[in-house]
Formats: sequence, C-alpha cells, structure tokens
Amino acid sequence: MGIHSLWSKLNGESILMRRLVVLMTVALAAALLAPIASAQEDGDLVTLRVGLTQDWDTLNPTAGFSVPSYEVWNLHYATLTDKAPDDFAPVPGLAESWETSDDGLTVTYTLREGLLWSDGEPLTADDVAWNINTARDQGWDNMISTVQNIEATVVDARTVQLVSSVPDPKLPTMDVYLVPRHIWEPIATDYDAATQYEGADADGVGSGPFVVSEFTQGQSVVMTANPNYWGWEGEEPPYDQIIFRLFDNPDAMVAAIQQGEVDAAHGFPASSWDALDAEENIEVLEGHQGGFDEIAINGGAAEGQPHPALLDVNVRAAIAHGIDRAAVIEDLWFGHAEPLETLSPSALRKWIPEISSDSQFSYDPDLANQMLDEGGYMDSDGDGVREMPDGSSPILIRHAVNTDGDLAGSIGDLMVGWMGEIGIGVTLESYDQDALFQVIIDGTYDTFYWGWVPFVDPDPMLSYFTAAEIGNFNDANWSDPRYDELYAEQNQELDPDRRVEIVHEMLTLFHDAAVYIPMYLGPDLQAYRTDTFEGWVKQPADIGPIMFSNSSPSYALVTPIGEGAGEGSVNWLLWGGIAAGVIIIVGAFLAMRSRSTEDERE
Amino acid sequence: MTSIAMQRRRATASRVWKQFRSSRQGMIGLGVLLLFVLMALAAPLLADARELNPVFARASGNPQWAPPSDFPPLGTDHIRRSVWAQFVWGSRVSLFVGLAATVLTILIGSVVGIVSGFVGGRVDAFMMRVTEWFLVIPFLPLAIVLASVLGRSVWNIIFVIGVTSWPSTARLVRAQVLTVKQRLFVDRARSLGASGSHIVGRHILPNVMGLILANATLAVPISILTETTLSFLGLGDPTAASWGKTLEEAFVNGAMVRNAWWYFLPAGLGILAVVLAFTLIGRTLEEIANPRLIRAR
Amino acid sequence: MGSAITLVFVLVFNFFLFRVVQTDPIGSLFRGRNVPAETIANLRESFGLDEPLWTQFLLYLRETAQLNLGISYQTRQPVWDEIVTAIPATVALVGVSAVLSAVIGTIGGIVAAWRRNSWKDHSITSGTMVFYSMPDFWLGMILLVGFAVVLGWFPVGGISTAGSSATGLELLLDQLYHMFLPALTLTLAYLGEYTLVTRSSLLDVMGEDYLTVARAKGLRDKVVRNRHAVPNALLPVVTLTAINFGFVLSGAIAVEAVFSWPGLGKATADAIRGPDLPMLQGLFLLFSSAVIVFNLIADLTYSWLDPRVEQA
Repeated sequence: MGIHSLWSKLNGESILMRRLVVLMTVALAAALLAPIASAQEDGDLVTLRVGLTQDWDTLNPTAGFSVPSYEVWNLHYATLTDKAPDDFAPVPGLAESWETSDDGLTVTYTLREGLLWSDGEPLTADDVAWNINTARDQGWDNMISTVQNIEATVVDARTVQLVSSVPDPKLPTMDVYLVPRHIWEPIATDYDAATQYEGADADGVGSGPFVVSEFTQGQSVVMTANPNYWGWEGEEPPYDQIIFRLFDNPDAMVAAIQQGEVDAAHGFPASSWDALDAEENIEVLEGHQGGFDEIAINGGAAEGQPHPALLDVNVRAAIAHGIDRAAVIEDLWFGHAEPLETLSPSALRKWIPEISSDSQFSYDPDLANQMLDEGGYMDSDGDGVREMPDGSSPILIRHAVNTDGDLAGSIGDLMVGWMGEIGIGVTLESYDQDALFQVIIDGTYDTFYWGWVPFVDPDPMLSYFTAAEIGNFNDANWSDPRYDELYAEQNQELDPDRRVEIVHEMLTLFHDAAVYIPMYLGPDLQAYRTDTFEGWVKQPADIGPIMFSNSSPSYALVTPIGEGAGEGSVNWLLWGGIAAGVIIIVGAFLAMRSRSTEDERE
Repeated sequence: MTSIAMQRRRATASRVWKQFRSSRQGMIGLGVLLLFVLMALAAPLLADARELNPVFARASGNPQWAPPSDFPPLGTDHIRRSVWAQFVWGSRVSLFVGLAATVLTILIGSVVGIVSGFVGGRVDAFMMRVTEWFLVIPFLPLAIVLASVLGRSVWNIIFVIGVTSWPSTARLVRAQVLTVKQRLFVDRARSLGASGSHIVGRHILPNVMGLILANATLAVPISILTETTLSFLGLGDPTAASWGKTLEEAFVNGAMVRNAWWYFLPAGLGILAVVLAFTLIGRTLEEIANPRLIRAR
Repeated sequence: MGSAITLVFVLVFNFFLFRVVQTDPIGSLFRGRNVPAETIANLRESFGLDEPLWTQFLLYLRETAQLNLGISYQTRQPVWDEIVTAIPATVALVGVSAVLSAVIGTIGGIVAAWRRNSWKDHSITSGTMVFYSMPDFWLGMILLVGFAVVLGWFPVGGISTAGSSATGLELLLDQLYHMFLPALTLTLAYLGEYTLVTRSSLLDVMGEDYLTVARAKGLRDKVVRNRHAVPNALLPVVTLTAINFGFVLSGAIAVEAVFSWPGLGKATADAIRGPDLPMLQGLFLLFSSAVIVFNLIADLTYSWLDPRVEQA
C-alpha cells in the first residue's frame, strides 16, 4: 500500500482517503523543508577553526569573566603594552616605547604612528587616557585592580603619561583592554549601561589582530582579520578569519579535530590524550599557565554558615588529609596534571612557595581519623558519622557540584567516598557555575570543587582572599588580618625579590588555614593539526599553552599551510548517509509493493 | 465484611490467576519481573555495596575502564567501580522509585476518580476539568520543571512522577465508578439507607479494584522510564545509583567515545526488561479484565 | 474556547510554580554580578514584586503576551530569543521523525492487523513493543556508538560540520547527514505507538458489519482493505499524529542532549543544569502551548477529514 498506488487506485472514489493522502504529503513536505538554522559563511575565506568546550559569558570586557571571553578580548582589543610569548615581559604594543621616572611612579608612553581602530577612526593618546581614567572612576570590575591608583593625562596625540599615587610593581605593564571611546562615551558614565552593554559583539570595533564579526552564544564566535592592526605592518593579514566553535560534548570535539573539522582544540578530556597523540597529523600538549583546581571549605565569613565543625581548623586539616589527590591526578587526569600544595597565583611558577613536608596535607585517612578523634568529634551513636564534641549535629556536609565542570561529577562521587572513610557524611548539591557563584557569596555550602586560571601578576589572585573581597571573589569565605597586611605590603613592593618573599609568606599562611585544598596544577590540554596551520607559540615558553593563554600571541603569528587550511571537509560519508536514507525509503515502498502483489495472488 | 463477599473475591482471584497462567506473554513478563525483584532483594548477596565507592574500588586495586573480560562479570567504569555492583544495586533504586511513584499515582488518580464519579455534579465537573488540564500539560517538561524547582532527591522524584501522571488513572477509574454506580445493587444499598462511605467501601471499591491494579501495572513502566530520563538529565538523586544515573555517568564521562559498551548496556537492558515485563503483565491483566479491549498501553 | 481556558490554566500554573516557589527572582537575575542596590530596587518595582499577588499576575500576563519571558541566567539573552533560535532545529528533527514514524508505524499496524496472529503480526508487534519499552536516549546512545564511533559512518553530534564553510544545498545536505542518527532514534522510538494504535483500530473496524458485507459480496480482499477498512481505521491515527506533534516537541529532550542537537530539547537539558529557571519557565510555556494548539488542530483535522463528525 504505497501512497502512490493508493492514490491512483482511489482516484475520485474516496474523499476521505484523498484528504488523508494530501494531509500526509503536506506534513512530510513541511517537515523536510522546515528551515534548519543556517550559518552564512563565505566559501573562499581562509579560516582558522578552533574548538572549545566552555561557553562565553559576555563579550563585554568590563564585566565578563569566562576564559573564552578573555580569548576574544585578547584578539579584539590591543593593549598599551604587549606580553612577550616567552615570559610575559612587557614589550611594545600600541605603545612603541616608554620611559619610567626615577621614583617609579610615572611612566610616559609613546604610541605608534598612525594607529587606527578597525572602523578607521584614529586611535590616540586621548583614547588611552580616557579608558584608564573612566575604568578607575567607574570601578569596572575587570580593570579596577590595575588602574585604581593611576591617573592618566594626555601629553600630545601620541603621548600619554600615567602617574601612580603609590609604588606599583606592575608598571610599566599596562594590559587593560582599551575600548573605542567614540563608541563607548555615551554609556561609559552609567555603570549599569556600561556593564550590560554587549561589548565587542555590539559594535565590532577593536584594535587587535582580529575583531568580532559574529557571535552566537552557546555556539560560535567569528572573528575577522582587522586590516588596521598595527602588527601587520601594512602587509595583508596571513589569513582571513577565526571561528571559535563551542562543543557541548568534549568527545565530539575530539572527533572533530581527528576528522579535520577544526584545526585546533582547547580543553579536551585527559582520557582522549592517547587517542589524539596517536594521530599522525595532530600534536598534543599540556599547557601550564598556573591554572589549578581546588576543593574549598567554607571559612564562615559569609552570612550563610558552614557546618560548625568546619570552623575548627583541625577539622579542615583532617578533611584535607582525607582527600586522595594522587588518585585524581592518576585516574581523572591520566597523569597529565601535577601535584600542588598551596594556591598558584600566577602563570609563573616562582610565586609558589615550598610547603615543608610535615605541614603538607598528604593523603592519610588514619591520621585524619586520629585528628578528628583527638578533637572530640566522635561517632557517639554508631551510625558511621561523627558528631560534634557535645554529641549534637552529626558532621554531614553539603558538597556543591559544579555542573559546568567536566570532572566535578566524579570528584563529587569521590568526595562521598573519601569523607566516608573518615566518618564525615556528604550530600551532593548541583549548581551551574553562575548559580555556584551565588551560593558561594551566600555561604550556603560546606565544600565545593572549582578552579582558577591566574593572571601573570600575582596581585589579583592574592587580592581575592582579602577581607575586602568577601561577597565578591573571595570564594573561601575566609580572611586573616595578617594576610591582608602582607597583601598591602606586596602590592607596593618594588623590589622583586622581596615581593616574592612576601607572597610566599602569604601563601604559606593561606595553606595552613586549610580552607583551600588545591587538588593539582591542571594544564590546558590542547591539540592542533600540523597539516593546516603552522607557527604556534607557547606562552610561557616550553610549558605553556598555545592558545587561551595570557595574551594569546599565537593567532597573529600562525600561517596557513598550502591549500588544506580552512576547508571544511564534508566527507563522502555524507553521501553515504543520504544514500542510506534513500534506500530505506525506497525499500519501504518496494516492500509495500511486493506485499500488494502478494495480496493479489491470494 | 461478610464471608460471602470474601469467598466471592477469593473465587475471582483464582479465576484471574487461572486465566493469567494460560497467557504466555503474561507468564514471561511475570517471570522476568520476579527475577529482577529477586535480584533487587538479594543485592547484598550478589555484589558488595562497597564496590560502589570509588575510594574502596581504588584501594582494592580495581582496574580503570576495564572490559568484562578483565574484570568479570561486567567490567569497571571511569573511577574503577564495578559495573556489576552498579547494575545490581541500581535495580533497587529503579524498582523502588518506579513502584513508589506508581503507588502515589494510583492513589491520587483513584481518589480523584472515585470521588468524582461517585459524588458527581459540580464536584465531578470541576475535578474532570482539572484532570483535563493536567492531561494536556506535556508530562516530561512538567516533571522536569517540578524536579528543577524542588531539588534532587529520590523522594522528590517519586513526588514529581506521582503528581504528574495521575490524570489518566483518574479518568479510567471515574468511568468504571460510573458504570458500577448504574448497577442496581448500588441503588438498592442506597435505598436501604447506607451511607456514602459504606457504599464506596463495600460496593464501589471492590469493583474498581481490579481495574486499578491492571492500571497500576501499566503505570509502573512509565514511572521507571520517567525516573530514568530525569536521572539522565541530571535531576536524579546524586547519591542514589539508579540505572538512569549509571547511564548519565556513562554518557558524561565519555563511555560512548571509548566504546565502553559494558558501562551503558547493562543498565539500559535492565530498564528494557523490567518495563517490558510490566507491560506484558499489564496487557494480560487488561485483557482478562476486559476481553474486548485490545489496545496499546 | 476550551483551549483558551486550558491556556489560562497553564499560565496560572506557570506563574505560581515559578513566582511563588522561587523566593527572590530578582536576586537570582544578577548572580555573580556586583549590582548597585538602587538598580535592584528599580527592578523589583518593574517586576511589581512589592505589589499584591494578583497585580503581579496581571503584570506577568502582560509581559508574557508581549513575549517578554525574562532573561536567561546562562546566556543573559532574552528567553524568547533563545527559544526562537532553537525552534527550527527541533521542528526539523522532530517533524521528520514524527512523519516517518507515523507513516512506517501505520503501515506496520495495517500489516499486523490484516494478518492477525501471523508471524508478521507477532514480529511487528513484539518488535515495536521492544523499541517502545526502552529509554529513547539509550537507543540513541547505542546507535551513536554503533554507527558513529565504531563504524564511523555518521558524525557523533551537532547539526553541521564544525567550521565548514558550506552554504545552500551543500549545507542542507550536511545538516541532513547530521540529522540521520537522531531522526532514526526518534522514528524507532515513536513507531510502536502508531503500530499498536493502527492495529487495534483496524481490528475494531474489521469487526464491523459493512466490511463483512463487502467481503461477502465477493470483493477482493485487497480492495476491501484499501477502500473501506484502512481509511476508517486511520481516523484515530490521524488524531494521534496531530496530538503527538504537540507532545513530540518536548519528547526529544534527552535524545537531543545525546546528539548535541541544538534544539529546544538540548536547551531544556542545558537549562536543567543551572537550573536556569526563566529558560525552563519559557520552554515549559512553549511546550504546553504547542500541545494545546495541536489538540485544536487535531479536532479541526478530524472534522475536515470526516464531515460526519460535528465539531464539539
């Protein structure tokens, strides 16, 4: 009973049947022709395609915080000084040179000649000074720690002078993203308007090597080469555009780079390392830039309180001893992460202090049990969960699972197991990263697992654990006056060696408080195809990632190889798939026809 | 309750069982179901519960991502836990949630159906309106929305399934109550001055009980599948390892790309077997209760 | 009229579920952001949160009527925009699967009923019941592992080849290629219902008098089947199809998640992880409205197909 044969046989005989057939045909046609979302791309452009697994939050450089957003800003907005790929040392950016006064408080920058925004407007000292002063006055979150003590003045169109009211070890590096004044001026004085603006996505005007031309949240960012970028030195850009493609499923990204659908992939799962490493045209790397993950214990400074037992530093230390970090490195990272004992505040290793072996939180459940016993936290009712020394409230802690993290679910399962060994009960609660942020501010959790990727200068990371950041970035909900004192001291210490010493003291103190149990130094696992683009650089040298680094220098340096670059390969399997579909449909019809003849024989 | 009524009921039960026994599909379903119930009850004998604990699994030297040949009978997962232990203990959670949610569904549905059918009038009209509304609201999104608002726990899942899937039961029970009500003996009982509750308890309930039970067997598969889907979408209880949660963890941790079939096949087959078993039993019971009825579940 | 009342019920339900259960809708709008207290106060006012509940409800109705469903927590975009972007992918996937399963399922049902108790009947009935009894996403996982991972014939997910610069027909073919596995999954999963309903409906019709008469008059078996039995038996199937179209929009949630298919289902799965309540609320409203609209369409289609049926 193929529809066609029915139609001819029933011609003019049954209104009902005809209408049924019409209905089905219309439905099928409508379904097949239903518009599928279509991206408009020009076929002839040379494109670098980069896969990633984390979504952008907003492309507004004053307000966003996700790593992929920083990657876009690194390309879209040029900075006054650039960072050397090797060691992040300040090198000429928009400024071709600078001079620092003897007291270190004043730096005078000279801009390159003929700088233009991507829309052709001139980029002058006025833009620079306006950006720094506005960010300071408005208190824009992402810039404030860099510019809070700085006053910028225009000397002439190519000269800008920065005066810091206090000694500032970060200068002459000036890496705040500079937004186009001629576009931002009307909204910049209203904090809400400025921070809710869509940024690079709304105007597409930048000064870096590539500028945003299309942004679809949850899917992709397309960036087009900016002909006015100073770094091209008047030459044609080496390729036309970059497409950042978000994969919800990291495994799909792995398959995509294997099949040549993307040229590079950032943040693939450690479990795929061997598979990618085995591919002939794919290079894999561990990109270390100080990123780490931690299990944080609620220090009790927020309004919501942790379980009372967690306010005892010995209980926190016991929990730390109960966590098997080597197991995580081995089982979840397949050995591609490194042990870490206190937080890593910078992309450079020199800032991490050595923690003496007897105060390290080695995995030792027996010691942890002993510590809890000595503290009087006994399991008085024999249910396997310890109680407070007075026998009240069993130690049942709420562990927050970040549903945006790849490993968070497994860490949650492990947390239940680890704590079970030392008589602490765990309930798991799930939040995405935004919700978790709020939960942390509210203090309505006991522990969570999350991570950081620090900047180059340790100052921002260190500032997060001061009292002033409680309710904002201080996700330990902990503070200590001594730590705050040391923080203020290093913030103005111009002697580099002395500053390292102070930072080491701070981080040792922070370690001993046991509110933050660093799990490991986790690299960004990246892969790139060797047959499409070449010239990737690591930042910092040798150990760093090739992209999603502090200033992402690779994109302006790589060049396409021959013809292969940028061609999306729709392989022959596409046609195989279509053929299979056609065969199924035709087969169904034939089957029906043969059944018809069978019927006639009867 | 009079002994005559008891006898009559016992006779009915044995008649149903006789008919049921002669149905091949019914007996297959019952057999499979008994197997799984037995497994759930005997879980502690079949697999060490500590194998569900990744810390224990690591300490006892389990391999990671081991296929069944390296770690019989069903291999291990991404954090070295035995898949067999997850399968056995998961059957407990899945069956428990499925049954408990069904009890709630049937309870709500029957109460609404009986009250609506028996009282009639405005109450009936109002209750049926509400039932229709609930029938129209797509079931899975409603369950998702409720579970998201309530939070992740076994009891919330049971509650969510219960309060979202009762309307079809309510309609069915109401129709049956109306038929029973028409029958003469109810009128006679009423004319003798019996109270409403007496009539419901003595005459209506016994007569709709069979239908309610048949309906319950058909509601269990829906409950189990819903629990599975909710768990897979991350709304399950994170500390109760149901089959749905096993599937979620397998999916999230890349079992598919590794072709670690031993991680996600057993749980899915378990669900398939239990759902099919309940469906077969339910269809058989339905055919016994209403021989003219040959329909989809 | 009935549909309108149902819609109002959905709105009331939606309002209470989210506005009453949720303690502070404004606070959660700004998670993770440093927002001046003044702004929050202004927003509270514009949401009418200081007003009595019924005023809030009227405000909610007004906003909903203007398709202002709030801002997604996750993407910070208007919920309606997010939903509109996701609709085409779901309509295409679910539409194709629904039509295919309706057509194939109906044919299977007809065959099964016409040859009742034959081996064909038994294999069709039990085969479709097995597909009907498994979690649809699990079927998807198995097809994905088999055809995409082991055999490598199909992509492991997404709607088009990443970074491809294809346009026009080439893009459409690429998308159909990506659609194959999820569509196959949903087709197999929906098949059973159509087969079983067609089968029982046809069995009912076949028991009716006029067919017996027609057969007795010596009309060929096939003619009787095609001209009399099937058209009448298909009526309930058409209704089922129309109603299902409403439900299937939401039916692909887990399957879309498995295949990373960027439609409403995946949007729901993503919103769950937050939970992104404004997004869930908007999606729920859309799914419910779809069912109501398609119920209405089912009624209308039914009376158009069979003029004997008076519209209620």
